[in-house]
Amino acid sequence: MKAIKGVLFTCDSAVKQILLTMNERESFIIEDLDDHHVVIKADEEWRVRRELEAELEKNTYSLE
Amino acid sequence: MPSVQPQPNLDTPSDEDEGSHILLTFLQSQSQNTLSRLYQRPSSCLSIFRLLRPLERQLITNLLWLESAIPVSTMGAWVTRDGRKAYNLCLTTLAHLNILPTSTVKLALNSTLKSSLRQAITGGGSSGSFGVPAEHDQQHSPPSVDDLDAYALERWETILHYMVSSGTGQYPAKPSQDVLFLLQRSGLMAKANGALQITSSGFQFLLHPPHAQLWELLLQYLHMAEERHMDLVEILSFLLMLSTMELGREYSIENLSVTQMAMLSDLRDYGLIWQRNATSKRFCPSRLATTLTSSSPPLPTSSGAGTASNTQGFIVLETNYRLYAYTDNPLQIAVLNLFVTLKSRFPNLVIGAITRESVKKALANGITADQIISYLTTHAHPQMRKNNPLLPVTVQDQIRLWELEKNRVNSEEGYLYTAFASQADYEYVLNYAKQLDVVLWESPARRCFFGSLNGHANIRGFIERRTAGNA
Repeated sequence: MKAIKGVLFTCDSAVKQILLTMNERESFIIEDLDDHHVVIKADEEWRVRRELEAELEKNTYSLE
Repeated sequence: MPSVQPQPNLDTPSDEDEGSHILLTFLQSQSQNTLSRLYQRPSSCLSIFRLLRPLERQLITNLLWLESAIPVSTMGAWVTRDGRKAYNLCLTTLAHLNILPTSTVKLALNSTLKSSLRQAITGGGSSGSFGVPAEHDQQHSPPSVDDLDAYALERWETILHYMVSSGTGQYPAKPSQDVLFLLQRSGLMAKANGALQITSSGFQFLLHPPHAQLWELLLQYLHMAEERHMDLVEILSFLLMLSTMELGREYSIENLSVTQMAMLSDLRDYGLIWQRNATSKRFCPSRLATTLTSSSPPLPTSSGAGTASNTQGFIVLETNYRLYAYTDNPLQIAVLNLFVTLKSRFPNLVIGAITRESVKKALANGITADQIISYLTTHAHPQMRKNNPLLPVTVQDQIRLWELEKNRVNSEEGYLYTAFASQADYEYVLNYAKQLDVVLWESPARRCFFGSLNGHANIRGFIERRTAGNA
């Protein structure tokens, strides 16, 4: 058996799809578990979170 | 769209249902000795009595005038089947406070408390426990109630206003050094880059009702007093004594102990006490002090506005997220600015909107959606009270959704255990991990599971022992 160090991301499926797309540009996913869970490299967590935030921000509209 | 659970009872905020008062929680952690000394003073007993829940008060009044102890079974016979749970809860609280010591045979009130409370109700005695009124001063007349209110409000708002504007770079009037120290110790503010900055618990603090804020600070003061080797009982009884005093009356400082004299200056800083000058032989409790243990509002009206409606509520919130706040109080405006995008300001009105950006900013500061909603609810304009539900559901839901949006991704560090040799092997390790309660995710079909970081050492040891045993 094997033990791999990583960070477990629990998210909704929309976010997971974005993560998969981001992974194609620059790989960080260790294991794609199911619709709501992915394991990613521990040292990539903050970069991924930042990029994800920017990506989600594109989908919102402001009145101002 | 995720469903949002509406909060029950939003429209009927009641203090009675919410657990015990935070001072009582503090007292429960004190030693019997401390409590007994505190119960020697009639004013303390009366104030604590006022803080208790109705049922607890009823139990005490039932027992107060009995000379002998009453069998537990007799007392139990009064309680209906439905009331048993509430009754037992009361007994536990009262036992923790050492008011009604636990007994399996007979129930009797703590004798010290009994005589003090009797004295508080019937009067008499010359202990001066309720404060000694100062003699009439020929030169100066005592300050009027309005003056006292204005003074208390000014002091209190200085503290809050200082907190709320600490992040914005503009510094209004600074409270005294001791107050700043207290704010820092309580974790409401923290030093960042050499200056005091409000913390996330500080932001939450700002949205609490004034009464809760006051007690939070005073409890912190009590904690600090322990470290400064001040006598806790003296401080507590002084605070409780203040809460039984009459607003607008001058009291003499003659009967105060050294500790209590030292407290005068601290309490002046918080606006609980008014003194003509630091060496004056008399003091006046402000409304903040006299309402400490009562349910009436601790602050009269917002400064400047002069109308009573301002304390009841000043916020009108529309379904289109627009917000109208009928106020000219800089503190209230600053607090609103925490989660509202303000657009325009008139002499008695501020207009703004709740936007995604403004709520996100608040969430980033550590304020929760529920706190925003409860602030809007408690300060809703009387006009809004006609609506049911009070706040537009669309806005409430959206604020909660924005909060959910912030938490779209949860992450947890740990190890992925995979590539097990057999199903039995997998289940064996998984069972062990489950006993440790470290499994975050599992999939029997793929024969792997994810365990949290702190379980890794144990699991590794377990597998090593097992392999060694098999070999």
